Amino acid sequence: MMQGSISNRIRTLRFMNGEMSQAELGQRIGLTRQTVAAIEAGKYSPSLEAAFRIAEVFNVPLGEVFQWEVKAAPSKAS
Amino acid sequence: MSYREKIAWLSLAAMAVAYGPYFVLATRSPRPWEPFPHLHPLGLFAVVSIVRMLILGAGYLYLRLGSPREERSPRDERDRAIEQRSLSAAYYVLIAGMILVGCFMPFSSTGWTIANAAIFWIVAAEVVHYGVVVASYRVQASV
Repeated sequence: MMQGSISNRIRTLRFMNGEMSQAELGQRIGLTRQTVAAIEAGKYSPSLEAAFRIAEVFNVPLGEVFQWEVKAAPSKAS
Repeated sequence: MSYREKIAWLSLAAMAVAYGPYFVLATRSPRPWEPFPHLHPLGLFAVVSIVRMLILGAGYLYLRLGSPREERSPRDERDRAIEQRSLSAAYYVLIAGMILVGCFMPFSSTGWTIANAAIFWIVAAEVVHYGVVVASYRVQASV
């Protein structure tokens, strides 16, 4: 299976949108401030619906908020 | 620490304070010589249940008054995911305990031993439930 991790630019996008607070973002997408903080820190992966809502708030495509970074597979010894 | 994590800690503390002494006293004080041998364990269990409810009631009140309104907002998807995960873990503990109590203990024990074993596994399942909740919030905590 392909290995990877999800990163995000929520902190940057909040800054670019008038230093929007985590609480305000959470309020607009129906999540708590703690959940927004966990998503931002990469400790919780939101549902697809919540991810789309976040992108909608910042008025950007989903791919600008979340990125999938593929990890290089370990080479198999022959 | 989030409001829901505080509630989970409170529930763990209430169980430790109430059921810790209960199991110590229940296993150390069998009184088969008394005219009503079931009265003592029943009374003990009633007292423990009341103590637990009082601790939970006072704790809820304290946390509710001490937490800002925004922290007491309805559960979001992360809270529900944590709750589901913790209940799944607790279910396996409970079902294992009930199999032990219901299928095996009747052949070797009787009466209050079986009842206390059932209570023990229910408490153990609750401890796992709230333990997983606390651990999940701790792992995901970033602020």
